[in-house]
Amino acid sequence: MKNKLAIALALGAVTTTALAGPVEDQIRFRQSAYSFLGWNTAKIKAQAADHPETFNKDQVIAAANAIAAVANSGLNELYGEGTDKGTGWKPTRLKAEYFEKQAEVKEIDATFIKEANELQKVAASGDVAAIKTQFGKVGATCKSCHDLIRVRE
Amino acid sequence: MKIEVHVWDWPLRLFHWLLVLAVVGAYATGKVGGEWTDWHGRFGSLVLGLVIFRLIWGFIGSTHARFINFFPTFSRLLAHLKGDWHGVGHNPVGALAVFALLATLLFLVGTGLFANDDIAFEGPLYYLIDKDFSDKLSGLHIRSVNVLLVLVAVHVAAISFYQHVKKTDLIKPMLTGKKQLPKSLAPSSAQPVGVLRFVFSLLLAVTVVWSVWGGDPLKYLTPLAGVQTAQANGKS
Repeated sequence: MKNKLAIALALGAVTTTALAGPVEDQIRFRQSAYSFLGWNTAKIKAQAADHPETFNKDQVIAAANAIAAVANSGLNELYGEGTDKGTGWKPTRLKAEYFEKQAEVKEIDATFIKEANELQKVAASGDVAAIKTQFGKVGATCKSCHDLIRVRE
Repeated sequence: MKIEVHVWDWPLRLFHWLLVLAVVGAYATGKVGGEWTDWHGRFGSLVLGLVIFRLIWGFIGSTHARFINFFPTFSRLLAHLKGDWHGVGHNPVGALAVFALLATLLFLVGTGLFANDDIAFEGPLYYLIDKDFSDKLSGLHIRSVNVLLVLVAVHVAAISFYQHVKKTDLIKPMLTGKKQLPKSLAPSSAQPVGVLRFVFSLLLAVTVVWSVWGGDPLKYLTPLAGVQTAQANGKS
């Protein structure tokens, strides 16, 4: 009986860690996610805002799809307890206040997902001006999160 | 008996009010972010041009625009505190604020040129340095905004103190350039603005802004002039 309980507990522990992994993994995964986002946002910024003459509809659609996919991937799972300290690819910049500001964080997360989904739709239309505007809205949600829970360099 | 004395030359006044516009614009767009971030860069460029202009004008502008005539030396500050200072331009304490504001703005502009927001904005000189250094400068950029806010608050508070307590209007002279002064104190009016000197300062300021953007403004002007842009993809 005791053995079974121990196995169940161990399994439980394994599945919980499997969801998010140890602290370093969570930090590494989320840093990778944002870095991947950066590649895609840079593409849209370049092609829809800075150099519209280079606009490539397929690339922008692909980038918007990638951004929406990351937004919808459940990033909050990577913000487990204790992940305000630790090193992934580099030391994390998550503020300890993250854990106290859950209401605001959830709201930002929901807005980010909503705007990213909208960007995916707008990108499919190929309307450069509309993409630029919608992209700005996505960027504003990035900023609201950075301002709230990211340590300044 | 008071007489009207010409104190602030028109380039100085234009500089001042454009700077108000540029700083307020840069602050607001920086706060809002998103699509407005590009405008933050534009307002920042205006601040850069204006500050460069002011630095040059501080040497070749008319009397009360010149740094040498209001530099807050220790003896001037002491005289002012004792009530023995009787100039007509910036008083020595005000001069401290002028230099502090200019230095802070220069720092903000200097760091902003190399900054990035980790979203979709990079300052025009970002590509010259590595990302880690840019991140550091971006952090300093944002932090030093607080210094600017304090200085602006002090500046506005001082003017309102003069307005309401000392009954001295400092705003109108910054609009008209003229101050009403007791005849006993009144010096001769500031020397007239040298047009060539103004053009020189303006051109130098514009050149600096133009250069940091790698000649990008040219792209907006050439289509207006109907010139074929032969510019290939400058940035890759």
